[in-house]
Amino acid sequence: MDKLINDVFAELADGDEDLRDLHGVLEEILPEASLALYGDNGAVVGASLPGLSAAMLDECRGRATETEICGSFRLAGAGWLHAIRLQDYKAVLVFTQEELTEDLAGNRHLAALYHNSIRLALLRCLHQEAIIENKQLSRRMEVVSSKHAQLLDDNHRQFLLIQEKEKEYAKKLESEIASQTKQLRDTNARLEAASRLKSEFLANMSHELRTPMNAIIGFSGLLLETPLTGEQKEFAETISKASSSLLVLINDILDLAKIEAGKLELDLHPFKVEGLVKSVEAMFRSQALAKENRLSYQFDPDLNASLIGDENRLRQILVNLVGNAMKFTSKGEVVIKASKAKEEEKTVSLLFAVSDTGIGIPADRQKAVFEKFTQADGSTTRKYGGTGLGLSITSQLVSLMDGRIELVSAPGMGSTFSFVISFAKAAGKEEGAPPVVHGAVMPVRADYGSDKALTNEQPSTSGADFKVLVVEDNLVNQRLATLLLKKAGYEVDVADDGLKGLLMLKEQRYDLVLMDVQMPNMDGHTATRKVRELEASAQKDEYASLAGRAAPLCIVGLTAHARKEDEQQCYDAGMNDFLTKPIIKDKLVSLIDRIRFPKI
Amino acid sequence: MPSAQNLVDKFNDLKTLPHVAIKLTQMVGSETSTMQDFEQVIKLDPVLVVRLLRLVNSPYFGLSSQVESIAKAVVFIGMKHLRSLVAVEALRNLFKEKTDGEVFSRKNLWIHSATVAILGQMITRRIFGQDGEDVFLAGIIHDIGLIVEDQLAGDDLRKVCAEYLVNGHEDSITGIEDSLIGTNHAKVGRLLATEWHLPETVIEAIRFHHRYDKEFPLPSVIGILQLAEFMACKMNYGVVSGRCDPLPAYLNGHVKSKMADYKVLLKALPEEMAKAKELYDAEPEK
Repeated sequence: MDKLINDVFAELADGDEDLRDLHGVLEEILPEASLALYGDNGAVVGASLPGLSAAMLDECRGRATETEICGSFRLAGAGWLHAIRLQDYKAVLVFTQEELTEDLAGNRHLAALYHNSIRLALLRCLHQEAIIENKQLSRRMEVVSSKHAQLLDDNHRQFLLIQEKEKEYAKKLESEIASQTKQLRDTNARLEAASRLKSEFLANMSHELRTPMNAIIGFSGLLLETPLTGEQKEFAETISKASSSLLVLINDILDLAKIEAGKLELDLHPFKVEGLVKSVEAMFRSQALAKENRLSYQFDPDLNASLIGDENRLRQILVNLVGNAMKFTSKGEVVIKASKAKEEEKTVSLLFAVSDTGIGIPADRQKAVFEKFTQADGSTTRKYGGTGLGLSITSQLVSLMDGRIELVSAPGMGSTFSFVISFAKAAGKEEGAPPVVHGAVMPVRADYGSDKALTNEQPSTSGADFKVLVVEDNLVNQRLATLLLKKAGYEVDVADDGLKGLLMLKEQRYDLVLMDVQMPNMDGHTATRKVRELEASAQKDEYASLAGRAAPLCIVGLTAHARKEDEQQCYDAGMNDFLTKPIIKDKLVSLIDRIRFPKI
Repeated sequence: MPSAQNLVDKFNDLKTLPHVAIKLTQMVGSETSTMQDFEQVIKLDPVLVVRLLRLVNSPYFGLSSQVESIAKAVVFIGMKHLRSLVAVEALRNLFKEKTDGEVFSRKNLWIHSATVAILGQMITRRIFGQDGEDVFLAGIIHDIGLIVEDQLAGDDLRKVCAEYLVNGHEDSITGIEDSLIGTNHAKVGRLLATEWHLPETVIEAIRFHHRYDKEFPLPSVIGILQLAEFMACKMNYGVVSGRCDPLPAYLNGHVKSKMADYKVLLKALPEEMAKAKELYDAEPEK
């Protein structure tokens, strides 16, 4: 390979170039000397020197050693001829110098001088090559550095390009996120609207359901008071129980719908916790007996201050929890606890807990029991019944009161539901402070019975001297109300609508009006307002029912809606109280008792 | 007899050249392609990725740090250079196929191409102080036409080579190709290079590399290619071993005037070839 490489330019190359180069350099270094180079190939560079024999040359060529003086020869005239073998150049250097008149072999210093001069010449030639190599190296360095610069440029350009692409990408991503967010927002709004519609629908449905429920509960109750065979009595009782539990369910659904529609508002009144807990305990006493459960309550003795809160909703919470505990416990124990968690100047936080020794709830199902339509285990639904609404409503009611319901339970170890709610302390410690609804003072019920005709000192179940007018368009409700009132011993008349009702108030003297809200011709609100106007006018005496009364005529609204705004509308129209349909006998009687004997 | 275009069409039908190489060549020409684009295309061929990284990390580039991704390779040696390496890899496989013959073998042709490429780049850098990237690419690819002919008219090509060797007449090999095959590897190569969107100077070099009657002022890609081709042939790395075309006359003056330079260059050649072993080894180690 090396040989091939050396011969690449053999045809082009001047074979004696190296010798000529060397000759030039030698002449520079030894200007006094006459020099000739005799190449092994026969080439002669420099003027050929007389006196050099071919034999001498051959002898010198035969010496393979590098730069060796191979002989000095005395010339015919004066002077010497010297020959040196240059192995690298494959040549023999022959030279003479006029001043040089002795054998080099005899003069070491002179020999060294020549030797060094010739070496210098050879190094200079090598130096030429090094210079070229150096030049090539510097060219290569230039290439590398310009390439480097170009790479830097390229990479910078790349950097800018990538940056731009990334910016574009980020922009795209941003707009995508924005559009997706908008989509989500729209969907969310749609879902919220749908949910609201659903809740409204449910609220309306419950209203529609209440009307027939009214008839079923009312008449099955009435039926039970007629002479019946054993079998008939059993059927009627079943109808009565079933419809009662259906009513509970409808109320639950309505509550849930209200909560979800954000329409449930707390009705704050002063109340006493002790009374509440006792009443809840009393409610479940018979059920506890039936299931052989020991039911008890524990109560902090210093909790007798009057607090402000929604007693009815709090009761609902406790009833739900105790009912739940009863459902899943038999031959065990259920305890209701109320204790003071924290007291400050104006508020007090109470801890309520309902514990049982029932079947318990596995850890992985504890969250689910607060979800709608869920029980701890799908299979318990069949065994224990229920809709699974109770705990969901309970937990939402607790949230509404700024509390959080907690559950500690393990299978077979029973369950404890607890929550803490903070109440404002009632201003006066007196009982019977005026009830407060959202800051508005409610009509004062104590006035109901100030009618002189009714001021009996003793409560009486006999109502022969008490006349009631039922203003109601629905025939079934008319009959039910009439029957209920007559059973309770009151005289009853019926008017089909508000207009007819007013006429009858003119003709006869009534002590109480049960006024349906929704009626044709004239609705209950309008009729009530009319009565209140008449009472304040000169026409008052023309109406038998109004004449000579110190207090306004007692009007009680009948409404199928159990919603807060319906209640408020009744009060706004001037009604003294209201009853939700279906009319429950006990409630009606106790209402009338309250009106007749307000002190009790 | 087929025209150059016929051969190229048939050759393309065989889809012998990887799509990746063609795609990359187009990308090098584009102002907007990024190293990521480059990397994504190359990644389609995992074997290629491994081989490229081996080449980039070989002593030929003498990089001080290890390059372990294509994107980094772009940063260190540039897209253009990487494109050449992709060409090397693509062609290496092409040159490997088919059995070897005595007068003509793909293996010899591969070593010839790699030697011309390396020599060409050395000349450009050492003598002219320029980058020589296009010369390298031209060297690797200038005889691609011979592969096409071998693929589609292998017997005729062998006849051409035999005639060229024995005859010793003044004709260049392309003349014999024209008469026996109907076209020649310079024409075919030029068409392919055009299709692959190679740089104009490279296309020109492929087209004229056997034209000794024209003068190409130095330092042109074609001029340096012809010089490198002559030198490779003199070192027994010719296309057809046993015959070398003479150095085109217009180059004589340049070589004579720079003889000392070329001597130094030739002295450095064995070392450079050793460094570039990864490049031209026909069968890289697995």
